[in-house]
Amino acid sequence: MEPLIEEAAVEPKGASIDAMTAPTGEPKKVETRHKSPTQIALARLRKDRLAMVCLGIFIFFILIAVFAPLLAKLEGQDTTTLHQDLIDEYGFPTISFTSEHWFGIEPRLGRDLFARFVYGARPSLIVAITVTAITAVVGVCMGLLSGFLGGWIDRVISWVVDFVLSLPYLLFAIAAPAVILSIMGDNPTEADVSQVTRSRFLALILVLSFFGWASLARLIRGEVLSLREREFIAAAKVLGVPTRKVLFKELLPNLVAPIIIATSLALPTYIVAEAGLTFLGVGLVEPTPSWGLTISNATTYYRADPLYLWLPVLAISILVLALSLLGDSIRDAFDPRTRR
Amino acid sequence: MLFYILRRVISAISVVIVTVVCSFLLFFAAPHDPAGVICGPKCTPERLKDITNSLNLDQPVVEQIGLYFKGIVVGRDYTAGGVTRHCDAPCLGYSYILGVPVTDLLARAVPVTLSIVIGGATIYLVFGVLIGTIAARVRGTTLDKATVGTSLVIGSVPYFIVALVIALYATFLPKSQYVSFFDNPIQWAGGLLAAWLCLGLTNSAQYTRYSRASMIEALGQDFARTARSKGISERRVVYRHGLRAAMTPVITIFGVDVAYQLVNTIFTERIFQLPGLGTRIINAFNQYDLPVLMGGVIVGATVLVVMNLVVDILYTVLDPRVRLG
Repeated sequence: MEPLIEEAAVEPKGASIDAMTAPTGEPKKVETRHKSPTQIALARLRKDRLAMVCLGIFIFFILIAVFAPLLAKLEGQDTTTLHQDLIDEYGFPTISFTSEHWFGIEPRLGRDLFARFVYGARPSLIVAITVTAITAVVGVCMGLLSGFLGGWIDRVISWVVDFVLSLPYLLFAIAAPAVILSIMGDNPTEADVSQVTRSRFLALILVLSFFGWASLARLIRGEVLSLREREFIAAAKVLGVPTRKVLFKELLPNLVAPIIIATSLALPTYIVAEAGLTFLGVGLVEPTPSWGLTISNATTYYRADPLYLWLPVLAISILVLALSLLGDSIRDAFDPRTRR
Repeated sequence: MLFYILRRVISAISVVIVTVVCSFLLFFAAPHDPAGVICGPKCTPERLKDITNSLNLDQPVVEQIGLYFKGIVVGRDYTAGGVTRHCDAPCLGYSYILGVPVTDLLARAVPVTLSIVIGGATIYLVFGVLIGTIAARVRGTTLDKATVGTSLVIGSVPYFIVALVIALYATFLPKSQYVSFFDNPIQWAGGLLAAWLCLGLTNSAQYTRYSRASMIEALGQDFARTARSKGISERRVVYRHGLRAAMTPVITIFGVDVAYQLVNTIFTERIFQLPGLGTRIINAFNQYDLPVLMGGVIVGATVLVVMNLVVDILYTVLDPRVRLG
C-alpha cells in the first residue's frame, strides 16, 4: 500500500546532515509537489490496471455510439432498410457474414444487424448518462439544502426521500409510460409511432431520474451533517459568507469523493434499467435500434441465429461488467478505507 | 418500545396513503381522458358513459379519491354493460377490459409470485451463507479469491440476461409452468425449478459476499477467540459461535430483499412465463388497463412498506444494541 500523503520527496538518509561535516554551500532544496485529494485518488486510479482496461472498454463503446453513423456508412447500410431478397420463405436469412452485412441480417425483417448494433449503443448510453447527470445534480442540491439548512426544509426533504425509496420503482417504471402519452394529451391507443417513441424516451428518463436522486440526497445529507460542524464552515459563516457560497465553495469541494463514487456506481445500473425495461416492452419501441429490443426480438430465433441474440447480450454484459468494476476501483481509489 | 412501534406504524400508514393519492392523481387525474384510455380502442358511447359514471370521473378529484378510499374500506359497485357488479372490500378498482375486480385479479396472481420468491430465497440463503462461511474460513487463499471474483462477475451481469440465458439454454430442466402446490406438489416444484435456480444463482453471489464479510468480522471478535482458547474445534467455533453472530445483519438484508423480490419478480415471471403479479402488470400495461396498473402499484408499495416495518421491528428484537431513535 502506498503512502496517503505524497508530499515531500524525503532525502536519502545516508547523507549526513551534521553541521560540521556538511559541505558548505547553499542548502539543498526539498522538492515538494502539492496534490489535492482528488489528484491523489486519480493517480492511484491510473496505477490500477483493471480500472484502466475497464475505462478503455467504456470509451470504446462511447466511440461506437458517437461514430455510429460513420461506422454504418463505412459498411454501407442503415438501420431501417428491409433486405427481403436475402430472406428465405421461412423468414430465415440466407446469408451469414458478408462484406456487405458484417454481422448478417435480422431474420424475418432483414434489417442490417451491424448498423442496428452500433446505433443500439446510443439509447443505452444517452439514457444512462442523462439520468446520471440529472440525479447527481438534483440529489446533491437536495442533500446540501437538507443537511445544511436543517429545520422544516430538512424534515420535508427527508420525508420525500424516505417516501421515494419506499416506492416500488419497477412497477412505476411500467405504469408511467402507460399514462404519460395521455398526460401529454394523446390517446395511447391511436398515437402514431413517433409520438410513442418520444414519450417512451421521456418516460424512461423521468422515471429513472425520479427514483434515482433520493439515495444520493440521503448520502450527501449525512456527509453535510458532519461537515457543517467543522471549523472552516463556522469560520465562513462568521466572516459573513453568503449561504450560497458556503454551500458551493466550501461544502461542495469536500463532497467530491462521495459524489464521484455514487455516480460511477449508479451509471451501470441505469444502463441495465434501460435495457431491461426495453426488453420487457415498456421502454423504447420499434423502430428505435436498442440492444434491449434486439434481445427481446432475438429470443425466438436463438437456435437458428445465435449471433442475433448473443451480440447485444455480450455487449450489454461486457459494458455493464466493465462499468461496475470501474466503479469499484474508483471507490477504492477515492476511499482508502474500502481497499480490498 | 411500544411507542417506537406505534410511531413506525403510523409513518408506514402515511406512506401508503400518500402512495394511493399520488398514483390516483397519476392515473386518473393527470391524463386528459382517462375514461377513453380505460375504454380501449373499440369504445362505444354507452361504455364510456358507464365508466365515467362508476368511476365518478365527472366529479371533483378530491371526491373521486374519497370514493376510492371508501372502496378499499367497504367495497363499491361498478356498472359495466348494464350489469352492476359489487366489488368486495378491499376493492382496488375494476378492470373494464377483463371484466373482473382488480383485487380478484391480483389475488389469483399472488400465490405464483409467492412460490417463486420463497423457493428462490431458500436456495440463495442456504447456498450463499454456506459458501460465504467457507470462503471466510479459508480467507486469503486462492479458493476464497476465486469465490469472491466469481460472485462479483455473476452479480454484475444484468439479471434479465442471466435469466434469459438460463431459460433458453437450460433445456434439461423441467418445463417452466405453474401448478398449484395443493393440486400437485411435485409438479409445482418441477415447474418452478428453473425460476428458483435462476433467482437462487444470481442472489447467492450477493449473499456469499455479505455472509463472508459478516463472518470474518464475527470470527475476529473476542468471543471467537475465547471459544478457540477453550479448545473447541474450529468447526464448532465457526458454525456454533460465529454463524449466530454473523447472521443478524444478513437476515436483515434478507428481509428487505424478499420484499423487493415480491414486487420485482417481473423479469423472472416474464422470462419463465409464469402467471404472477409481474406478468399481470405487464399485460395490463400492454392493454392500457389503468385500474389494474394502479392496483398493482398500490399492492407493491404496501408489501414493501409492511415488510420494511416488520424487518425494522424484528431487528430491534434480534439485536438489543440497536438504539431506538
